[in-house]
Amino acid sequence: MAAPLATQAQEEPRRTIPIKEVTVYGRRPMKEIGVQQTKFDSVVLKENIALSIADVLTFNSSIFVKSYGRATLSTVAFRGTSPSHTQVTWNGMRINNPMLGMTDFSMIPSYFIDDASLLHGTSSVSETGGGLGGAVRLSTKALQNEGFGLQYVQGVGSFQTFDEFLRLTYGNKNWQLSTRAVYSSSPNEYKYRNHDKKENIYDDNNTIVGQYYPVERNRSGSFKDLHILQEAYYNSDSGERFGLSAWYINSNRELPMLTTDYGEAAEFDNRQREHTFRGVLSWDHLSSTWKVAAKAGYIHTWMAYDYKRDAGNGIMTSMTRSRSKVNTFYGQVDGEYYIGSKWLFTASVSAHQHLVESRDKNIILQQGDKAIVGYNKGRIELSGSVSAKWRPTERLGVSLVLREEMFGTEWTPVIPALFVDGVLSKRGNIVAKASLSRNFRFPTLNDLYFLPGGNPDLKRESGWTYDAGLSFAVGREGSYSLSGSASWFDSHVKDWIIWLPTTKGFFSPRNIKSVHAYGVELEAELAVALSDEWHLGMNGTFSWTPSINEGEPMSPADKSVGKQLPYVPEISATLTGELSYRTWSLLYKWCHYSERYTMSSNDLSLSGNLPPYYMSNISLEKRFSLAWADLSLKGAVNNLFDEEYLSVLSRPMPGINFEFFLGITPKWGSKK
Amino acid sequence: MNNRAKVIVLVATALQLLLMGGCMKWEYGTEEEFSAAGRGLFITNEGNFQYGNASLSYYDPTTGEVENEVFFRANAMKLGDVAQSMVVRDGVGWIVVNNSHVIFAIDVTTFKEVGRITNLTSPRYIHFLSDEKAYVTQIWDNRIFIVNPHTFEVTGSIECPGMTMETGSTEQMVQWGDYVYVNCWSYQNRILKIDTRTDKVVAELQVGIQPTSLVLDKNGKMWSITDGGYEGSPYGYEAPSLYRIDAETFTIEKRFKFTLGDDPSEVQINGAGDKLYWLNDDVWDMDVTAERLPVKPFLKQRETIYYGLTIDPVEGDVYVADAIDYQQQGKVYRYSAEGELVDEFYVGVIPGAFCWK
Repeated sequence: MAAPLATQAQEEPRRTIPIKEVTVYGRRPMKEIGVQQTKFDSVVLKENIALSIADVLTFNSSIFVKSYGRATLSTVAFRGTSPSHTQVTWNGMRINNPMLGMTDFSMIPSYFIDDASLLHGTSSVSETGGGLGGAVRLSTKALQNEGFGLQYVQGVGSFQTFDEFLRLTYGNKNWQLSTRAVYSSSPNEYKYRNHDKKENIYDDNNTIVGQYYPVERNRSGSFKDLHILQEAYYNSDSGERFGLSAWYINSNRELPMLTTDYGEAAEFDNRQREHTFRGVLSWDHLSSTWKVAAKAGYIHTWMAYDYKRDAGNGIMTSMTRSRSKVNTFYGQVDGEYYIGSKWLFTASVSAHQHLVESRDKNIILQQGDKAIVGYNKGRIELSGSVSAKWRPTERLGVSLVLREEMFGTEWTPVIPALFVDGVLSKRGNIVAKASLSRNFRFPTLNDLYFLPGGNPDLKRESGWTYDAGLSFAVGREGSYSLSGSASWFDSHVKDWIIWLPTTKGFFSPRNIKSVHAYGVELEAELAVALSDEWHLGMNGTFSWTPSINEGEPMSPADKSVGKQLPYVPEISATLTGELSYRTWSLLYKWCHYSERYTMSSNDLSLSGNLPPYYMSNISLEKRFSLAWADLSLKGAVNNLFDEEYLSVLSRPMPGINFEFFLGITPKWGSKK
Repeated sequence: MNNRAKVIVLVATALQLLLMGGCMKWEYGTEEEFSAAGRGLFITNEGNFQYGNASLSYYDPTTGEVENEVFFRANAMKLGDVAQSMVVRDGVGWIVVNNSHVIFAIDVTTFKEVGRITNLTSPRYIHFLSDEKAYVTQIWDNRIFIVNPHTFEVTGSIECPGMTMETGSTEQMVQWGDYVYVNCWSYQNRILKIDTRTDKVVAELQVGIQPTSLVLDKNGKMWSITDGGYEGSPYGYEAPSLYRIDAETFTIEKRFKFTLGDDPSEVQINGAGDKLYWLNDDVWDMDVTAERLPVKPFLKQRETIYYGLTIDPVEGDVYVADAIDYQQQGKVYRYSAEGELVDEFYVGVIPGAFCWK
């Protein structure tokens, strides 16, 4: 594991599990009063260069990660909601695709994220609107190194997978500069037993004389992803901070064939390409009682989807050719003002201007001219919030957030969110939290304008969420720490938008469902120094999330009312354990999703079956300190028990597979 | 317990949990024996696009018994992604599975696979000319494939004029003498005439925007219903129409216009070939000799949008499919020719097409 090397350059690179100082109740940040959040530290984020944020969330949080395959679309959803109910910010700027509403987490390398946290349910209102499930907050931050630094990690894995990571850094008292690059590629042709189809053996009369389940390779699943991240930070001596983060993605991915596809992979080309640039400039001014911050950002995304077939002459001919361009301009101003130690007031205004051009299909008009089916639309999205946070005594905190949003020309009513927390017991730092909020989510641009099917008459979705929970933290610095939380939530979403087929052969979105999602989320974390040389860290999550359709029946035959939403697991759980001894460390990751229904009626069928699964990954790392560099060697085994599993119907997942990483951090010029 | 002992207990618990992961293995299906004698109705359930959960149901109209997922149960494998249509010929059922790029041939009594045609682009319908020749229409291809159902091979193709791979769309076929007629649907407005002796398109006829279906009546008249496109379509948006086309002269005899915004689809014909049925929110019927559209539906809709329709060619009963929310088992309602509800039963996800045995 390479990242911690960067911060431990001068000593023997021991693997240490940080035993955090227990957050004492009196020092709970005012900004986090009543907030239910899950934070990921750099140890989790920087565990493996080949991981995306989707992989990190799968094994370290209770939210549901739906993966369409290895290096394929991965979406995340909180608490039984849908992926578009998860708002995602990167350095403050919303990066949900404005056309689709969701975010592909397989496109976010964990090595590019220095700070990640999940804001569950109501807690997302303090960051952004529209997070009916919650929000994922991702950001980069300065390393605080002095001098030059270099880190290079090379990974080689099964299925001819190569991952390369390079980071160059320079820092002095005022400046921190960093350049990171990740390149991942693989033909991705993993083998799996295809139990959805059989191969036939025919005799000379074309009569079937035998059948078998073939062992196939993942067909048409290759990928080449390049990410470059440039950062520059400047800290003046007078409380001014400037930051620049610019992230470029160039991705070229095939879309894997379904398990039920009898086409020849060589005859089809099904590919998605993406060029995305995201940049955020930030300025913060800090003083003892107030803070002002401003951000400006820009996103450009070009996406191409091509589905081609060999027309019989060896030439791949286009069947579907769609292109989309998104330009987003972003600006945000935040202010914070403390009055004494008991009051904090904050205010924030943000604007995202999206300009979208979607060209989905080339057609020949009735008169014989060519034309393109698509849309060209823009939308301004404003969001403003004010909050007052009050801590009258050490034991009690109250926070009220009022947010208002405008999408296009439509304003939401005021979105209120109220948070309360209180210390129940100083012994064990037992804190109770409760919150409630209203929230809205506007239709995406595809929901409104996609041709065919876009429905400009859609209403926004609306919801109420209630949260309550308890947390504790005990420990002794340098010896052990144990913390945990349990929270209960209850939310109602009305006018839930879903796309349904029409009798005209295309899909169209409608405000159909009312959903009641409720449940329990548990988290626990333990870090122990077993001795000077042995350390153990463990982290577990569990969530139980019934997500029930409470809408009106769509027809007298409708059996879906009162049932769990399809593709949403009722139970998910994760566990990670890390044991380190001197320069060795062993990491075990485990996750579980319960059965997901594929029918809204929760009937079980043979043709649509997503059994529960348990996934285990394990890795072992050894560090070396040489005169000229620190080295790390790491071997990882994914899907340790070679489980045959599915995250999405008909999408094959890889069996047991292996990765090997070599990390090098030269010592030249580096001082801390 | 000291700290170290606590940790050991925790680790042991964790190990126990992860070992649970080692024992789950996928259960493969087992093949079930069926013997479906006599008449019957197959229902092809499309399933959800890209989820590969299409299925085949079988209904015995005499006993009223329904068996779902018969393809999976008989063959221990999935039918595939988007079952589009089915045809029965000489005891073999041919199921066109669009996004699986395959046409399965099954024994209609045992439901067991007897073969399959692959190497297709995006098949929609199959039409038999003989034991050794059939046409397969496609979307996203400007070719109609010629296949040999005996050897399960693609033997050739028919180039369709006025379309590219990208804009290719050929759909349902009817035959009149040596000619096969096919409606072109997606961003199209034509019926093509194919000479089956030369496998060439020999004529085309312009109708309204997006003809969805095509049937032939007892008088040699073809009937096609257009959907009129959609609002905002660069191809145009117009009131849908029902067309009566003379198969011999390949000319439009009559255009019956619906109202702009209507949603007619699925024109079907009864066994005698003298009565048409279609969906337009309600279920409508009309004699093939009629000169104007009916004003009263055959059946009022039951607070839902019907998705599939068929007429029992022997009994004249009318079957309509309700896909409900398109994410659960759809329901089929069977009505007598007089419009009385006879039976109702659940089938698979998105029942889109029927096929009589």
